[in-house]
Amino acid sequence: MAHAFEVPIIERRDVAPAHVELMLKSVRLSQAQPGQFCHVLTPGMLRRPISFSRLDPKRGLAGLLLQVVGSGTAWLYERKAGQNLDVMGPLGRGFSPPEAHRPWILVGGGVGIPPIFAALEAWQNRVTAPIHVVLGARTADYLIMRRDFQSLGTNPVLTTDDGSLGQRGNVLPALDQWLGQFPGAEVMACGPTPMLAAVQKTARGRAGRVQLALEQRMGCGIGACLACVVPAEPLGPEGPRYRRVCTDGPVFLGEELVFDAP
Amino acid sequence: MRLDVTLPRGLQLKNPIMAASGTFGFGPEYAAYVDINQLGGVSVKGISPDPWRGNPPPRVWETAEGLLNSIGLQNPGMEVFLAEDIPFLNTVDTAVVANIIGHTTDEYRRVAERLSKEPRIDAFEINISCPNIKEGGIQFGHDPDQAFRVTRAVREVTEKPIMVKVSPNTGEPWVIAEAAVQAGADMISAINTLVGMAMDLNARRPALGGVTGGLSGPAIKPVALRIVYELASRLSVPVIGMGGISSAEDVLEFLMAGASAVMVGTVTFQHPERMLTIIDDLPRVLETYGFSSVESAVGVALPQRREA
Repeated sequence: MAHAFEVPIIERRDVAPAHVELMLKSVRLSQAQPGQFCHVLTPGMLRRPISFSRLDPKRGLAGLLLQVVGSGTAWLYERKAGQNLDVMGPLGRGFSPPEAHRPWILVGGGVGIPPIFAALEAWQNRVTAPIHVVLGARTADYLIMRRDFQSLGTNPVLTTDDGSLGQRGNVLPALDQWLGQFPGAEVMACGPTPMLAAVQKTARGRAGRVQLALEQRMGCGIGACLACVVPAEPLGPEGPRYRRVCTDGPVFLGEELVFDAP
Repeated sequence: MRLDVTLPRGLQLKNPIMAASGTFGFGPEYAAYVDINQLGGVSVKGISPDPWRGNPPPRVWETAEGLLNSIGLQNPGMEVFLAEDIPFLNTVDTAVVANIIGHTTDEYRRVAERLSKEPRIDAFEINISCPNIKEGGIQFGHDPDQAFRVTRAVREVTEKPIMVKVSPNTGEPWVIAEAAVQAGADMISAINTLVGMAMDLNARRPALGGVTGGLSGPAIKPVALRIVYELASRLSVPVIGMGGISSAEDVLEFLMAGASAVMVGTVTFQHPERMLTIIDDLPRVLETYGFSSVESAVGVALPQRREA
């Protein structure tokens, strides 16, 4: 029987203003698929769903990188090495592994970068075709994990809204260029909803799969309460139907989602 | 210690703890986390004759000791429930309560008639009190004549036990409850969520996609306890109490206020196993406060019992 369980925090790293990465010692969590999440107990009424930033099944380690957005994440930000977290997980549908011979494009925006890193770390050795990574954030301060990407031997294209690091602007020009070069490429993306909507629009209608990792306010985390829904295909007479981020996602195929729902 | 509860029309619970509708899916979802065989019962998520798509997200918002939700009773409809969830429910030994919803009296009748043929369903809970539905649902819960008509329509198509779930968002919930009892309800369940609102400061608009939502969790326990007490003081039928229960002590409060059994909901999101902990703790808590069974605690705080 599955259950919520306690895991120790073995390291706490400040990674950007109001962003922290907590390294957890847990064999079970370390065996997650990239894109899956962990539902963490906080003093409030709901757990907080946080996707894995890195997974090391050999050493039994899993990372959670989060941004402070409210009371629950503020409490998590204050956690220290040596303390425990009460977690459920790993939960949800993660990324499907990339195909070996297909070019692979990874797109990460802001606090959506961590699951993209986890995917690259898990699967870069199985892909023999070219791999391209573009990361975007408001400013240089918020371009998290960029050195982790570099330490894996990739050289991500960096973009910032204010031009304080890398190219000024967003992730789309790089994506557009690579899709022109590799029309059959597989795309994985995680980031703010407008970014995902733009990725879906830019990358649709090709042979390559588009996998988008979503975020939503969540209740139970296991598919029972139907709180964390997003508009999805197929469209009915009343509009899109609603699907659960916790169990139908958090990773969806691009064509499954409806971003322009009223 | 005896924890079992006998309710009207032969409804037997092995203990007074049931999962509250809307917090436990249709049965299978929590099976990996909770040994459902240990529960007194499960009230499944509201079921309508046809699929309902629910309200736009965001659908939940945390408040002080409470949870606002605006799910809007999304469900796949009765045929999908029968085909996909009854096979699982057939494998577990607990009372199954079908929470039913409709936009019209006829829709309540349709879903009750169809589900009444399913032997696995032990009882109905008529939901006339969800604050998140614009049409139907709540309108029946604020008008005694409509509550009577809906209850009567369901009574006409089933011999199974019926409980009617009443709203706290009306001045006199017992008026609705009394109408439901007159129409043939065997029990009253109380309370549904309290209608509320939260603001998203960044978005400059109400936080929930449905604008308003239903408040649950420990924040509403005093309101729930008061209404259960008022209902149990006035009614001749059993009351099923709920609202913010998260411990065996909370359960005893509801029993003393006149509840014959209880439902546990919001706390399950934080602690999926909490209902089982409550069941484990209940004998010790009953004993601590001088009770020898669940039944012996029911209603001891009611005015008629205090005078006796």
